[in-house]
Amino acid sequence: MDWRRFGFIALIIIVLFSVVVFIGQVKQPPLLIITSMLATTIAVATPLTLGALSGVFCERAGVVNIGIEGMMLTSAFFGWLGAIYSYHIFGFGNWTSIILGVVFAVITGALMALLHAALSVTFKVDQIIGGTVINILAVGLTGFLNRQLFFGQGSVFGGNVPGSPGVLQTLHIIPLTELFAPICGASEICLRNIQAINRVFDQKPIALAAILLVFISHYILFNTRWGLRTRAVGEHPKAADTVGINVTKMRYANVIIGGMFAGLAGAYFTIESVPSFEPLLTNGRGFISLAAMIFGNWTPIGAWAAALVFGSSQAMLINMQIFRDVIPPQLAFLQESYIVGLTPYILTMFILTGIIGRTTPPAADGVPYEK
Amino acid sequence: MQTEKPNSLTSQILQSISNASLIPFLAILTAVILGGIIIKIVGGDPFLAYKGLIQGSLGSAKALSETAIWATPYIFAGLAVALAFKGGLFNIGAEGQLAVGAVFSALIGYGLPEWLGYDLPAIIHLPLAIGVGMLMGGIWAGIVGALKAYTGGHEVINTIMMNYIALNTTSFLLNGVMKDPSPNNVIARTPLIAESARISPLFEGLRVHWGFVLALLVAFLIWWLLNKTTLGFEIRTVGLNPDAAQYAGINVKRTIIVTMLLSGMLAGLAGSIEVTGLNYRHELGFSIGYGYDAIAIALLGKSHPLGIVLSSFLFAAMRNGATRMQFLTQLPVDLISMLQALILLFVAADAIVRYIYRIKSKGERVVLTRGWGG
Amino acid sequence: MKKFYFVMALLIVASMILTACGTPAATEAPAATDAPAVTEAPAATEAPAATEAPAEVTQEDCVTEEVFCVGVVTDVGKVNDKSFNQSAWEGALKSQEDGVADLVQFIETADAKDYAKNIGTFGDAGFDVIVTVGFALGEATVAAAATYPDISFIGVDQFQAWEFDEDAANDVANVTGLGFPEDQAGFLVGALAAAMSESHKIGAVCGTDVVPPVWRFGEGYKAGAAYADGLNGTTTEVFVVYHSDVGFDKTFTDPEWGAQTATSMMDQGADAIFGCGGLTGNGAITAAAQAGKYAIGVDADQYLTLPEAAPRMLSSAMKLITPGVADLVAAAKDGSIKPGNFTGLAGYAPYHDLESEVPAEVNAMMEELNAALLDGSVTTNVPPVKP
Repeated sequence: MDWRRFGFIALIIIVLFSVVVFIGQVKQPPLLIITSMLATTIAVATPLTLGALSGVFCERAGVVNIGIEGMMLTSAFFGWLGAIYSYHIFGFGNWTSIILGVVFAVITGALMALLHAALSVTFKVDQIIGGTVINILAVGLTGFLNRQLFFGQGSVFGGNVPGSPGVLQTLHIIPLTELFAPICGASEICLRNIQAINRVFDQKPIALAAILLVFISHYILFNTRWGLRTRAVGEHPKAADTVGINVTKMRYANVIIGGMFAGLAGAYFTIESVPSFEPLLTNGRGFISLAAMIFGNWTPIGAWAAALVFGSSQAMLINMQIFRDVIPPQLAFLQESYIVGLTPYILTMFILTGIIGRTTPPAADGVPYEK
Repeated sequence: MQTEKPNSLTSQILQSISNASLIPFLAILTAVILGGIIIKIVGGDPFLAYKGLIQGSLGSAKALSETAIWATPYIFAGLAVALAFKGGLFNIGAEGQLAVGAVFSALIGYGLPEWLGYDLPAIIHLPLAIGVGMLMGGIWAGIVGALKAYTGGHEVINTIMMNYIALNTTSFLLNGVMKDPSPNNVIARTPLIAESARISPLFEGLRVHWGFVLALLVAFLIWWLLNKTTLGFEIRTVGLNPDAAQYAGINVKRTIIVTMLLSGMLAGLAGSIEVTGLNYRHELGFSIGYGYDAIAIALLGKSHPLGIVLSSFLFAAMRNGATRMQFLTQLPVDLISMLQALILLFVAADAIVRYIYRIKSKGERVVLTRGWGG
Repeated sequence: MKKFYFVMALLIVASMILTACGTPAATEAPAATDAPAVTEAPAATEAPAATEAPAEVTQEDCVTEEVFCVGVVTDVGKVNDKSFNQSAWEGALKSQEDGVADLVQFIETADAKDYAKNIGTFGDAGFDVIVTVGFALGEATVAAAATYPDISFIGVDQFQAWEFDEDAANDVANVTGLGFPEDQAGFLVGALAAAMSESHKIGAVCGTDVVPPVWRFGEGYKAGAAYADGLNGTTTEVFVVYHSDVGFDKTFTDPEWGAQTATSMMDQGADAIFGCGGLTGNGAITAAAQAGKYAIGVDADQYLTLPEAAPRMLSSAMKLITPGVADLVAAAKDGSIKPGNFTGLAGYAPYHDLESEVPAEVNAMMEELNAALLDGSVTTNVPPVKP
């Protein structure tokens, strides 16, 4: 474990939270602020975490993937489209359609990844260029189809954007409120605090799955044969080849797994968060997850921690505006959201300078394998 | 890697020419055909659409002038990305460098006479406005170059981060101190720059300006720099193999910084020329997407200055012709992005094109970037 | 082997297109048939129909006197943005349905430098009315008006400053600016939200305050809540958040951010959320509706445009662009259009599904307020531009 890195990340998150609590306490109880920020942090970090995991799998196998953004966008569109078609055209029920939508998104992610793998492993196209192609293609394809399918009377739904079957619902898996209700008894404050704390754990399925996947990925990468082979292919493909590992196959498989993660991240946007698709709705989050991956030194847990940094800075920005009118005058710069909004970007650059330990990419990352 | 059979010199040259132009041409052709099929599938009229594109971009003097206007920033920004490619660096940050260049050019353009209290002659004011914008764009990228050289921080991530920082800071400035104070203005833009800081149009009644000529000139200059100077040789050598460059006694760190600096200056120039030649002010968001289009243009032009001028024209014509295409067919502008992505896809994966048209593959492959290492 | 991968690559593209388009259009009718009539574009607006069918009016006919053509130039944005560009386009469609316009067409602007060219495309084709959408097109519109003196220009959200100019030489006789009192609409829904809130905490999630109409919505919302507090003797806490922490390109197009911000507000007790600001606002509205809180829309009656949020849609702060554009187009046809500024209507949308939840006294207050704002006996005290 890289304690220096994690200590630094924890420190940033604590500082960000403290600032908000310090300013907001005149308006809201600190506990409520903290739990609300934690809940926001986890939700905001979800697509970033999944995107970063996508990057981790690709790059551990030696394929640079800057097309995460495009994969997410395409998956978000086709997942949403799949849900709508299942619901309106094929007549499935709400839940079936929603789940089919997630499946569609993951498949789309895998297909986009297959394209990336074909370009970078088989055709040996420069991998960063392959990713760029995917990003540009995603913008054009989703924007064009979104328009052609839902605008104008000749389109399938006669010019209306049909209602989607809905979104994944919040899961209440840790019933703190119910457990503590008898203990709190008649105490209103106790009950309210428990509810506030419970809010942190009340997340939607993909958000919860993302956290689970972080640990599963960690286990797979560092404790299984598959993981060992993946890393071997990414660090030293020649040696891996010599001992009989099929480099091409391993790279294809891992890029496709990565694509599925990006697909799930896409599903988060249109099936878990908001039940509609808008052009460009990923808004650069794929690039942020790339930064999170590097921030976390190509490890699943590190990437997750980094995604939480981005999440918490987002939570801070939102709360800073909610508490805008109680910001003390000597901290007036906190009102300038354009400037406060720079925090995660500057932090990322700071991290990259190696100040908290060098980030070390897999040795063969980005290098096509030639026998 | 060199697996080709020994050939006579002429056939080698012929092959290199055909390689440089044939594949992109076929890629474009394939993309156009595939795009047409897609238009047909979604119920449009591909012939009318392409007719609109051609009419709208080349059909009249006005259309040509507008295409040239579109091409101008593309050439500068495309050269910026290409120069970095030649040095083994991937500059995704042209977008931010362009915005920084534009902001500073606008600041000099409207602010300097105000601050001095008297008007400057155009011969001083205009070069100053362009020069400062160019320099600031260069510094913006130079920071990334220095971080790369001295800490190993990868330029892809750092330029992306610098893009965010540039765009947020520009928004901050244009909504604050630099906002046009005239009473009717409600949007984030600077005041108009002084007459003395404006580039004059090439022809009466058309918007195309001398900045376009400058773009062509700069393209030639970059070709000369890369192929005829020591610096150019150093940039290319570091780009091909930094270790070998080190052994050959080239100062790799310095070359990386200089490459990024030059690349940023070109991107900054793109912003400066837009401000001084076309908009006469910096309006928030005018440049969105130029930096990303520039990457595609650099790839399509195979990082060669002439190729970049040609591919800038192609992209400019597509963007410019989009209006006419929309007018005739009501197809969405996104179609253009899709066509561009397809062209890029086939150019990048030339093996696909080679397969379709049965063109023999030869060994040489251009490696433009080198992963995260460095 | 190579062939295999090539086929794969092609298949990816093809499969995506086919999954999207493979289903025939004539399948069962979508559930969202209760969508507004205006969004159902008449067949004549479909481009292929307009250009292929000989009986239809074509673009070439626009130069003739008898054929009345309307062109819409959007700002950098799409005609299906479920927001202001779309409303303006629907206004043009409405004028066609009403039999005013014979042909309506749009051009979407992809880049600010194309404003003049896009307007000119309609101008050269001899269109009779050109509608330009958004403040940013103001200068290009006035410039084009001089080039094409016979064409009527309607500028949505473009304030014509020369009206107050004593020097008549600057007047542009063929430009009419269409503006709206957004602060009044915001004021109305702010009062409604404050009156309906049980926690006495309400929120608004907006695009950037740099854009004056958005800022007026937000400030009007605050003022309205304060006004209702004065009437009811309550104290309502109002959270207004603008998405000003990102570049201009993202502030209106980030539904995920809108949803997270709304959720954060609801975590802190807000039980009514006003989403004002394009797609970002839509995200907030949907999140509020999913959480079972009151959702308040903007611009149009979003009960109709956001089916996902409809069951919890309390009202919408309406800025009636669609009828405003249609009215002005009709006025342009019969020659009664006046240059200068035309103030369109603002108001609040019906409660729809939540009608039973709104107490009679709240409804009475809303009707009174609406009337009072119209006759000027109540003012919002919101300046037109952020000071």
